[in-house]
Amino acid sequence: MVWVSSGNDRNATIRVLRDMAAIFDALYQSLWTQPHLPPEVLELCRLRLAQLHQCEVELQRHDCEIPTDKHNNLTHWTTHSSFSNAERACLAFTEVYAMDTQALTDELAAAVKSHFGDAGLVLLVEALGILDGMTRLSLLWQLPATTTQQTTYGLVL
Amino acid sequence: MTGQPRATNTNTPTGNMIRDSALGLVPETLDHYMALNRKIWESGPLSPAEIEIARLRNARKVNCVYCKSVRYDIARADGLSEDRVAMIEDDFRDSALSQREKLILAFTDQFLNDPGGLSESLKAKLLAVFSSQELVHLSMLVAHFSGFSRCAVALGGMPASLPIMEISLPQ
Repeated sequence: MVWVSSGNDRNATIRVLRDMAAIFDALYQSLWTQPHLPPEVLELCRLRLAQLHQCEVELQRHDCEIPTDKHNNLTHWTTHSSFSNAERACLAFTEVYAMDTQALTDELAAAVKSHFGDAGLVLLVEALGILDGMTRLSLLWQLPATTTQQTTYGLVL
Repeated sequence: MTGQPRATNTNTPTGNMIRDSALGLVPETLDHYMALNRKIWESGPLSPAEIEIARLRNARKVNCVYCKSVRYDIARADGLSEDRVAMIEDDFRDSALSQREKLILAFTDQFLNDPGGLSESLKAKLLAVFSSQELVHLSMLVAHFSGFSRCAVALGGMPASLPIMEISLPQ
């Protein structure tokens, strides 16, 4: 049980407002099924946000499967050979977004667009807004970290 | 900030301000995004004036020129005057805002500044004043507005300033 509600995880907490929870779920799922940015790239960005926020519960969450070597070397994404240039462009954008959104540059945006187009950039900034917001809420709600986290798709990993 | 937008929607204009913006390039998420925005404004337990106070505090902290310039008509109709909006500054704790309004601002600041550092003191004050439904509503709307403001900033093309504009809830 977290301090804001009788729930003990994100979904249970939001379900205090049942109608809003259903709409949020639909939005969240749409991030992972849209055609503009691969979900694996988005998951890398989500996990990098969690690392930067030092949010254990979000680090334990799995919204999309990614290769183990990428998961284990995410802090070294700038130099590790398992990351593609497209992934590096999105991770570079994510890091600056997390630290100071005002500091994002045209060059960082252009690098993302060179791989995923204008729609890919728009999807990335939309998604980062939602993922950053939910990471902050996980911290603010003081959600407990556990060994298993339910995914958006109802799978327990 | 940048002088030029970083993404451009070249689709045929629809007449809808949001759908004709760069956000319209991703229709797969846009309808859900707008539905959540409407639900936050129309169906939660917090009043439109309370929602607007949190939205404007976020806008000022994130420094989104668009978000700072907007005033929702339903919040004004709910009693949020420009005199009260002027109190949503860093010294809000010494203002004439109500205890509920000050706690909404304190929660918003905590989310933006240090979400992992909530004090037992602030937590106790929030629990004494707000119901569980109100706290979840406040949480979701602050997260939503934070994401929306950062989205506008990240996509660039933001002017240095804009006049105050009253708008209705986008459909």
